[in-house]
Amino acid sequence: MLSPYTVLDLTDEKGELTSMVLGDLGADVIKVEPPAGSPSRVMGPLLENAPESERSLQYYAFNRNKRSVTLNLETEAGRKALFSLAGKADFIIESARPGEMARKGLGFEAMLQANPRIVYVAISPFGQDGPYADFPASDLTLAAMGGPMSLQGHPDRAPVRVTVPQVWLHASAEAAVGALTAHARMVRTGEAQFVDVSAQTAMVWTTLQAMSAHGIQGFDFQRAGTTVQLGQISFQMVYDCADGYVVLFPIGGALAKFIEWSTDEGIVPKEWLAAEDWSIYHFKVLQGETLAYPLEEVVDTVRRWVSGKTKTQLLEQSLLEGVPMAPVSTTEELVRFRQLEERGYWLQAPLPNGQEVPTPGLLARLTETPLKVRRWAPKLGEHNQEILGGMLGLSASETAAACGPAGS
Amino acid sequence: MPFEGVKIADFSWVGVGPITAKYLADHGATTVRIETTSPMDLLRAIGPFKDNIQGPDRTHFFGNMNTSKLGVTLDLKSAAGLEVAYRLIAWADLYLESFTPGTVDALGIGYEKARTLNPSIIMASTCLMGQTGPAASFAGYGLHAGSIAGFYEVTGWPDLPPDGPYTAYTDTVAPRFLAAIVMAALDHQRRTGQGQHIDASQLEMALHFLSPQIIDYHVSGKMGTRNGNRSETAAPHGAFPCEGDDQWCAVAVENDQQWAGLRRAMGEPDWAKDPGFESAEGRLAHQDEIEGKLSEWTRSKPPKSVMEILHSEGVPAGVVQRSSDLLRDPQLAHRGFFHYLDHKEMGTVPYTGHQFRIKGYDNGPRFPAPVLGQHNDEVLRDVLGMTEDEITEAIIGGALGS
Repeated sequence: MLSPYTVLDLTDEKGELTSMVLGDLGADVIKVEPPAGSPSRVMGPLLENAPESERSLQYYAFNRNKRSVTLNLETEAGRKALFSLAGKADFIIESARPGEMARKGLGFEAMLQANPRIVYVAISPFGQDGPYADFPASDLTLAAMGGPMSLQGHPDRAPVRVTVPQVWLHASAEAAVGALTAHARMVRTGEAQFVDVSAQTAMVWTTLQAMSAHGIQGFDFQRAGTTVQLGQISFQMVYDCADGYVVLFPIGGALAKFIEWSTDEGIVPKEWLAAEDWSIYHFKVLQGETLAYPLEEVVDTVRRWVSGKTKTQLLEQSLLEGVPMAPVSTTEELVRFRQLEERGYWLQAPLPNGQEVPTPGLLARLTETPLKVRRWAPKLGEHNQEILGGMLGLSASETAAACGPAGS
Repeated sequence: MPFEGVKIADFSWVGVGPITAKYLADHGATTVRIETTSPMDLLRAIGPFKDNIQGPDRTHFFGNMNTSKLGVTLDLKSAAGLEVAYRLIAWADLYLESFTPGTVDALGIGYEKARTLNPSIIMASTCLMGQTGPAASFAGYGLHAGSIAGFYEVTGWPDLPPDGPYTAYTDTVAPRFLAAIVMAALDHQRRTGQGQHIDASQLEMALHFLSPQIIDYHVSGKMGTRNGNRSETAAPHGAFPCEGDDQWCAVAVENDQQWAGLRRAMGEPDWAKDPGFESAEGRLAHQDEIEGKLSEWTRSKPPKSVMEILHSEGVPAGVVQRSSDLLRDPQLAHRGFFHYLDHKEMGTVPYTGHQFRIKGYDNGPRFPAPVLGQHNDEVLRDVLGMTEDEITEAIIGGALGS
């Protein structure tokens, strides 16, 4: 779909998913790396038995459908090559600290000279300007400043982030949307566009109904451990089962089913069924109406019903009965989930250590322009000759000058 | 506006579909959000409710996800309602739906029908598991997909059951991918006239946020688990208690310079001079002790002071903010993140804006979310160009529901 377009990816781990999304959608993505390689090339998890610059699975995961060129932007030759590439590109994506690209003479204004129709996307912790623009930041501190931590974790302990870093993935996936929105405007106006992505606001959006809640209801939602807060009341959401945990939401039709199954198994007496309209029980709780059985007793019933069954049994029953119950999967359980295998989701990828393993697949299935992984993550500078010689027509010595000495 | 002139029939509901359509709507697309009165969109039944008074037109969960859209109610089970749906599909460039797979075919508005009504239509179908496969009918929400994906396993404390990310996590991931996909499809349609059907599984999209860990499992057998706020490579790395009621500041010392900065910020206390703490390895080995001491230092200060003192020494730190903090956050104010718009039932309330800002125009939201059926007349008359007679006939036929 995006095959007419070229993307220059100047980012590190804070923006590599942006151009991967554009590349997956068909764009020609050129990953511009310093001679020593993108900083993400040394980020864990790391492979053993692979060349030093190819050990990172972080890099491998987010750089498919890209070609790699190294440019030494400290030299005139390197900068000249970058401007030439910018002249041929439709998008530039960068994730430097605000102002850093401009200080190097590589910011939006400079690129505009090279290409008056460029879409320039800048990803940063808090945005390009404003009182927090220069704050030191990390995955953890942005998860705090954006709001999700205040809603996650046990109420008697500190608020928590998702242990696997998520912030730059949210920001960089979001940047792909910003890039294509700006592109649509460029098409209408014929003018270059500047897109300023803030990771903090990307994290704000992960808090869904909580984000502007205080301005509506006059109080904040709070972290509630394994329960979810609805109005002033919390409903248990994570339950112990025979071999781990399962997530379910016992309200509405689902609760009616749980009570039915519980009476079938003798966990509660038969008269429970008729004593209450279970499909609206949660509304009655929220509105403080009289209940046939108190919430704690109802939750305990569900707990007892769930506790004797395995994750697999519960998932199978979900599919059979249309009541969603989701196992808390480990990675091992996830990769065995039959649905993904039968959909042909996993794509076999050749890793730099010689192994072939299943990796997360296509973003979606499209009938007319099917998505494709055309290449896996590139070696450092793998396409120097192809890009600088082929696309820009530089000689071998000009190419060598632009690329800089490997590893410098 | 980037998407001025683009026409969207948003038949989706709950999170992922409506958020996807919102991107286009806020940035100029004429977007009709189709709802039924029975069942109503689940979000209309969940708070936050304005002034804590419940009601389908008083929830901002629905409101934030549906800005800049025209709202119409249709009874898709009536012939007259179906007729209006056909007109919307014939009108639209993009038809979005998020029903359980099979539902649109049963209703008579599946892709084959849509294509006969509008040969260049883009139809995007999104659900948790995708349109095919043994679990296609798994009709859960983002919390379920988040759990199956593995996000619950990696959120919380190692000695406690998984707390999970806040509620419907995959609803926060999938719209970013789906919006990019439909924007690319619209660009392709503009250039070639070609439409298509898109099958977007929310689980499959979200798994990219765990990609390195999944690949690592296949290579090394290692599996991530929840570990509070700790990092494998950095310490101290956590949320520390501050002065006030349940106030916290997150602190991340990611290298030795930042450790030196933290020591200066604390006034070089003796305990921190331990040479064993000078390397990340040493700090990781003594995390309990360092976290305890750091907590003693933070406890007597407001979270904002802790953050400012640490920033002055170059240490990443961030107040754990709640909605009330976000609404008065000076950086968000600088970006014009919250838009105060006058909603028909709720009055002037803060709507959340976009996470990117494109220079040169107001990025929206353009107008507040609709109350149920707010634009029924406008959609039939102005958007679809139906005559008075046709509209009367549709209403008598029960097209708009009860």
